[in-house]
Amino acid sequence: MSTAPDQLRPIDIYGASLTQVSRPSLSRRGFLGTGGALVVAMGMLPEMARAAGASLDAAKPASWIEIHADNSFLIRTGKCDFGQSSIYTAYRQIVAEELSVPVEAITTVVSGDTDRTPDGGGTFGLLRNASTNMRKAAAYTREAVLELAALRFGVPRAAVTVHDGVISGGGKTARYGEIVAGQDLRLTIPVAGELTGFIGVQVTGNPPLKRPEDYTVIGQPMMNPIIQPKVSGETVWVGDVKLPGMLHARVIHPATLGSTLTSPGKLDAGAFPGARLVRLGNLLAVVSPDEWQAVQAARAVAEDTQWSAWKGLPGSDKLLDHLQHKADWGQVPASKSPASKGDVAAASAKSHAATYFVPYLKHAPIGPTVSLADVRADGSVTVHTHTQNAQFLRMAVAKMLGKGEDQVVIRTYPGPGHFGRSNGGNAGSEDEAVLLSRELGVPVRVQWMRTDDMQWSTQSSTMYSDIRIGLDGAGMIKTYEATHSGPPMQDDRPIGALLAGLPTIDPPSPINPSFIHTAKMSVADQWIYGKVANVAETGRGTDQIGMKESPIGVGLRDHSMRTPIQFQQNFPREVAISEAATLAGRDALQFRIDHTDDPRVKAVLERLRTESDWDTRPSPAPHASATGEAVVRGRGVSMMLRDNGYWACAAHISVVPATGEVKVERMILVTDPGIVVNPLQLRRQAQAGCLMGISEALHEEVTFDEGTITSTDWQSYPILTMAEVPDLKIVLAPQAGAQIYGQGSESANALAAPAIAGAFLDATGKAARRIPLRPDYVKAMLAV
Amino acid sequence: MTSITVNGQKRDVKASADTPLLYVLRNELSVMTPKFGCGLAQCGACSVLVDGEEMRACITPISALEGKEVTTVDGLPARWAHQKGLSEDPARLHPVQQAWVDEQVPQCGICQFGMMIKVTELLEHNPKPTDADITEALTTSGPSPHLCRCASYAAIRDGVHRAAKLLAEGASA
Repeated sequence: MSTAPDQLRPIDIYGASLTQVSRPSLSRRGFLGTGGALVVAMGMLPEMARAAGASLDAAKPASWIEIHADNSFLIRTGKCDFGQSSIYTAYRQIVAEELSVPVEAITTVVSGDTDRTPDGGGTFGLLRNASTNMRKAAAYTREAVLELAALRFGVPRAAVTVHDGVISGGGKTARYGEIVAGQDLRLTIPVAGELTGFIGVQVTGNPPLKRPEDYTVIGQPMMNPIIQPKVSGETVWVGDVKLPGMLHARVIHPATLGSTLTSPGKLDAGAFPGARLVRLGNLLAVVSPDEWQAVQAARAVAEDTQWSAWKGLPGSDKLLDHLQHKADWGQVPASKSPASKGDVAAASAKSHAATYFVPYLKHAPIGPTVSLADVRADGSVTVHTHTQNAQFLRMAVAKMLGKGEDQVVIRTYPGPGHFGRSNGGNAGSEDEAVLLSRELGVPVRVQWMRTDDMQWSTQSSTMYSDIRIGLDGAGMIKTYEATHSGPPMQDDRPIGALLAGLPTIDPPSPINPSFIHTAKMSVADQWIYGKVANVAETGRGTDQIGMKESPIGVGLRDHSMRTPIQFQQNFPREVAISEAATLAGRDALQFRIDHTDDPRVKAVLERLRTESDWDTRPSPAPHASATGEAVVRGRGVSMMLRDNGYWACAAHISVVPATGEVKVERMILVTDPGIVVNPLQLRRQAQAGCLMGISEALHEEVTFDEGTITSTDWQSYPILTMAEVPDLKIVLAPQAGAQIYGQGSESANALAAPAIAGAFLDATGKAARRIPLRPDYVKAMLAV
Repeated sequence: MTSITVNGQKRDVKASADTPLLYVLRNELSVMTPKFGCGLAQCGACSVLVDGEEMRACITPISALEGKEVTTVDGLPARWAHQKGLSEDPARLHPVQQAWVDEQVPQCGICQFGMMIKVTELLEHNPKPTDADITEALTTSGPSPHLCRCASYAAIRDGVHRAAKLLAEGASA
C-alpha cells in the first residue's frame, strides 16, 4: 500500500539524487522481495571504473544504508572490528542518531568484505575521519525520506519532523519503513576518492547534521552485540573457515631476513604420505590435507633446507649506536613541527640534554596470522582473512598476480587482534595462501606458526630522540629542542610476494611519493606547552634497517602500531618534561599546567590531580633511592593530545633497586576525548589500552641478531600477565559542548610508558630514558 | 582409531595417536572454540577441560585422552545444565559465558575461550575466589600464564566475580 507518486522524478537532496528504479532487474527484485526499500548507493566516479565489478554492481547491494519496509535498517562499512567494537556500537549509534531512530532498528552491520561494502579504507581513526562517511550517508538518507514524507503528507518539507523513528507532518505520521514500502528507491550520494586506495572512498557534500546538543542515542552506554556470539562459540573466526578440498600449508621461511633459497630439504614421502613440497622462488611451503602432518613435514623439511648466509642487521643490542652513528639521515629532508617557533639557541640559566630510545615492538597477536585462499580456474580469487583494509589488500593481490582488481574478492572475519599491522592490507599470510592456491589449483589455508609471526611480520619501528631543554632563572622552560630520528613506519609489501619475486607496491623510501609510504619522518606528537617561547621539533627519516642490504629486499619491515610515530615521540617528550620539572625543583604535574595555554590540557591535568590524590611536590620523592634491597615508591604523570582528544595518566610504581624489579601499583587515566559516543565501550577500551601500554613499558622489545629476529615466542617476547595488573581507574571527563567524536584506546596505550618513567624518576632519582623497564636495563639506569 | 569423549559425546577419531588434541577437535570433529595460539603451551588459547582440569590441547596427544572427558567452551552450557540438573536449553549460556557478556569482557576475544575454560575450572573448585585466587589461576597454576594481547585483564577479573555471583544465584535457585 503506497501513496507515493508512480513516477518519482529525481529529487536533489543536498547534492545527492533520489530516484525510483522503474524496472527492477530480476536480481534486484529477488533482493527486495515484495517489501520495498530505499538503498543508499554511491555516485560512480570515472576513476572507479577499473575497480568496478563485484563491489560496484548495484545488483549486489554494496550500499551504505538500506531501509526496509519492516522498519529495519542495514548499514555497510569497509572497516572491520579488531575488538574495539566501534562498528557494531558507535557506528550504529551515529547512524541511529542522524536518522532519529532507536539504535535497535539497525539490525545488521555488514563489514569489510570487498564485494559487500561500499567505502574501503583502513580500519583506523574509526571515530575520527572514518565515521564521517556513515554519519553523512545517514544524514542524506534522513533528508531523502523526509522529502518523500512531505510528498506523501502533502505538506512542505519544512513541516515534516522525525522523532524516535516516527515521521510527522500535517497531522499525519509514518515510520521510515512505510515511506519506502512497495517501492524500489535509490539515493545516490556524492563521493570522492579511490575504492582500493589506502584511505578509500569519502562521502562528500554537506547534508545537514544533527546538533550534538540534541543527541539522545550518542552518549548512551551500549552493549557490544558481537560478544554473545563470540563467547557462545557461534562466531566463525578466520581460522575456522573451511572449504571442500582445501589443503593445509606451513611456510618454511628463510633462515634470515636476507637469505635466498640454496636448496630445499627433501620431503620424506614415506613418513608424510599426502604431503607436497612447493617452491615459488624463495617461497617454500609444505601442504597436506592433514594439518598436523603439514606441521611435522614442514619441520622436517626445514631442518635440511639450505639458505644463503646473510648478515645485514646491527643486532638489537647495538641498535641505538647504529641509529646514532651509522644510519644515513641525510637522504630524506628533515621535517619541522608546526609548533616550532622562536630561537632555541637563546641562553638559559639551566639546561637538560639527553637521548631517549624506543625499541622495535611487535603487534604480537595471540594467534599467528592465518588466511584461506581460493584461486579458481576461471581466474577468480577469493581470500578469507582478517584485515583492517580489505580493499587495499584486494589491490595488492591483484598487483601481485597481474590481474584486474575485479577478479579479486576479500572476505573478512574476526581474528586475533593486532593494532594497525594490516591497515595497509596484509597481516602476513594472505598472499602466500593465494600463490599456493594458484599453484595447486585447490583452496589453501596458510597458518603461520608462532615463530613465523614473530620473525616474519612487520614491527612497530624504533626511534631515538635528542632533547634539550633550557630553563630560565625562574625555573620555567625557555627553550625546547627535540630531534626525532627513526626508520619509516609503513611497509605494506606482502612478504610472500617478495619471497616469490612478484610485483608489490614500492617499499617505504626517500623517493616513495605516497604520503603514507614515505621515509620522511613527521613530528606526530602534538605540542601542548604553548607558553614555551622557543620550540624546535624536527623529524629525521632513513631507510628501513637492513632492507637495502637484503638480497630479497626484506630486512626489518616496519608497520604502524597504536599512535604510530606519536608513541615514539611522546615518550621522550613527556619523560624530558618530567626531568625538566625535577631540574627546576617543581612538581611534575603543576609544571605541565604552568606551561600550557590550552584550557582543556589544564582541565584534564587538574582533574587527574584530584582523581589520583596527587601529592604536589618536586621529584625525587623524599625517600627516593637508587640503591638497596628496600622497596622505593614514586608517582609520575604523562599527557597526550591526539585527534582532538586530551589524555592524561598518573602512574604509581614501586622499584627494588637491588634487583631492578619495577611494579606498577596504581594507574589513573583521565580523558576529555570530545563527544563520548559510548561510555561503556570507551571505558573498556581505555582500560585495556592502558594495560597494554604497561606491557610495552615493562617487557617489550624485539630482539634480533645480525641476520634475524630472535624474539620468537612468548618467552623471548614476554607480555603483561594478570599478575601485573594494577589498581586501575578510568575517568571520562568530556568537555561540555564538544563537537567532535572521541577516539578510544590508542592514546590510553601510549600514556603508560612515560608516566611510569616519570614515576621511576620520582622513586629513584634516576631517569628512565628507554623502555622496557626490565631488570637488567633498570639496574644499568640506576648505576649511572 | 582412538576413542575420546568430547562434550559428553563419545567420538572415534581417525587421526594418528600422536596428533595433538587441538588439531583433532578443530579439523576432524569441528569443535572450533579451542584456538591455535602458539602450539607451545605458552598462551592458553587452546585450553580445554580434561576430567575437570585445564589442559593445553596444542601439546596433548589424543593417545593421552582415552577414557577421559574433554570439555570445550561449546560444551559449557550442557556441563552446567548437567551439574544443576537443568533441562537442555540451547539459549542458556554457562554462568561464565553469561558473565563475559554481562561484563563486556572480550576485546578481540581469541584468548577468551581459554580464559573461560580456566575460570570454569577455578570456580568449580573455588566458588568465591579472591583477586589473588584469580591471578593465581590465570598465571602460575598452569604450564604458562593465560595471555591476552588486548590486555582485557581488568574486564576478565570483573567477569570472574560476576560469574561467581551468577553461580551462587544458580546454586540457590
